[in-house]
Amino acid sequence: MNAVATPLLELKGISKSYGHIEALTQADFDIRPNEVVGLLGDNGAGKSTLVKIMSGVEFPTSGKIFRDGKPATIRSRKDSERLGIETIYQDSALVGSASIMRNFFAGRELTKGPGLLDMQAMNAIVMDQLLNTVKIAGIDSPDILVETLSGGQRQAVAIARAVYFKTAMLLLDEPTSALSVRETDKLLAHLGELKADGVSAVFITHNLYHAYESCDRFVILSRGRVIRSLTREETTVRELNDIIVKN
Amino acid sequence: MTKTASDLSGLALQPRSRRWRDLLREPVASICMLFIVFQLVCIVGALLFPEAFRYLSPQNVSLLQRAIPVIGVVALGVGLLMITGEYDLSVGSVYTLAGYSMAMLYTAGVSPVVALVLTLLIGIVIGIVNGIITVKTGIPSFIATMGSMLLVRGLVRWLSEMGSVSFRPGEAFASLFTGSVFGVEAAFIWFIVLALAAAVFLHRSKIGNHMYLVGGNERTARAVGIATDRVKIVAFALSGMAAAIAGVLSITRVGTATPAQGLGMELRAIAVCVIGGLFLSGGRGTVLGIVVGACILYMVEDVLLLLRAPGFYLDVFVGAILVIAVIANTALARRSAK
Repeated sequence: MNAVATPLLELKGISKSYGHIEALTQADFDIRPNEVVGLLGDNGAGKSTLVKIMSGVEFPTSGKIFRDGKPATIRSRKDSERLGIETIYQDSALVGSASIMRNFFAGRELTKGPGLLDMQAMNAIVMDQLLNTVKIAGIDSPDILVETLSGGQRQAVAIARAVYFKTAMLLLDEPTSALSVRETDKLLAHLGELKADGVSAVFITHNLYHAYESCDRFVILSRGRVIRSLTREETTVRELNDIIVKN
Repeated sequence: MTKTASDLSGLALQPRSRRWRDLLREPVASICMLFIVFQLVCIVGALLFPEAFRYLSPQNVSLLQRAIPVIGVVALGVGLLMITGEYDLSVGSVYTLAGYSMAMLYTAGVSPVVALVLTLLIGIVIGIVNGIITVKTGIPSFIATMGSMLLVRGLVRWLSEMGSVSFRPGEAFASLFTGSVFGVEAAFIWFIVLALAAAVFLHRSKIGNHMYLVGGNERTARAVGIATDRVKIVAFALSGMAAAIAGVLSITRVGTATPAQGLGMELRAIAVCVIGGLFLSGGRGTVLGIVVGACILYMVEDVLLLLRAPGFYLDVFVGAILVIAVIANTALARRSAK
């Protein structure tokens, strides 16, 4: 692997304002293939805004985005999907009142004939992914409603979905905030496995220990600006903490 | 590897018992059981006292078959919309307007089939307008459709002042909606056909899946790339169309349009859906539930009439069933969420 590979995704001079409130000011951000980047900063630093811009939920006021060095526009979820970006939100982006299968294929249903759902094929794929990709226990049917799953099981479903749809890059917005200690461990392990499969990830969290354990590099935001970018070798949890607190 | 093997055998063994348990947890299962028990009691009662309780008399059976489809078809549209998390209060007015539209177009010399197509289009357009107003302005559909309910009702009043209108099409067209096949009324057959179409659409089509997801959690649905606004507008359009179909079914049978016909129908349709296990919050429910809900609502009224209960009992019973159904469904949903 060459160290100077073109970034998988690069954001240059991104600004975003809501009315006269500036959430992001001239922010630069990049992520390379096979890299896990921790996006750190205190509340209101602009982390979520940056993730929303990458996932297509928000559109920047100004700035440029490049995918593999080529200019790209992300105006909607569909656009980011096309670029291989998948977001896993705090609430894991699943609809509680719908079944696992219907969530797994939400918006990307397999159909046959005149637009009818291919239930059999989708059920088989879901079960295969859950048993073999995320190796999740306790789910024996694709018809189980997501609201009956634990937080960790929900994340696992979301991750299995990302893996199945050949995601190049995962955006994880506070994925551990609703998880038990054991489930968090499992999620971090999944991140490691995904990285081994060549998937990059942006990991937003308040928990610096989780970040330090799973990220290769840390980008720290403060009041809408990117203030530091440090690799894991260059820093410690304590130093990261000091940077966030003092800015 | 042994673990995988045991996992797989567990997987093969579990579904059957699990499926039954899950099925019984579905709100629609309890309402179906209630329906079957109720039906059995009525049939036994009618067999024991054929003179006092004429439930199985040909007149009553045929009456039920003609009465259920009208509210049933309206409820199919309202229910579909309710699953996407919205309401349509304008269905009663659209239903009445559809009767006027059929009668007036026919009187003006338009062929019944063309009148039918135009009438359904009117329903669809009103639905689309309801949808666009709700989605684009972000106001609750309850208010948006209350506005169109009053507006369309005013239009119907105005039309009604131009004289009474009747609709007496030729034998061929009339028998399409009022005939019967082996004792089954045409209207009831239409209801079943439309219900099956709605079931395939909701449970097995891509856009049907999107309706459940939008109703379940609109923000998430949008985040996974579903065009939530378009899905909702389609649902509003179908609700308007269903109300218009019900209006056509009714005018073909009754023959004369009167302005008071659809009064209160919007709330009865919502009641049918709620009895059938749909949630006011959206995202849940089945077409089977709507069909059974419509049957139960009419059976209760019918039985009370056969027993010569005073009129006010009808409302009391329907109200009681409505509240009991919601309590039962909510409890079931809460239990299965644990």
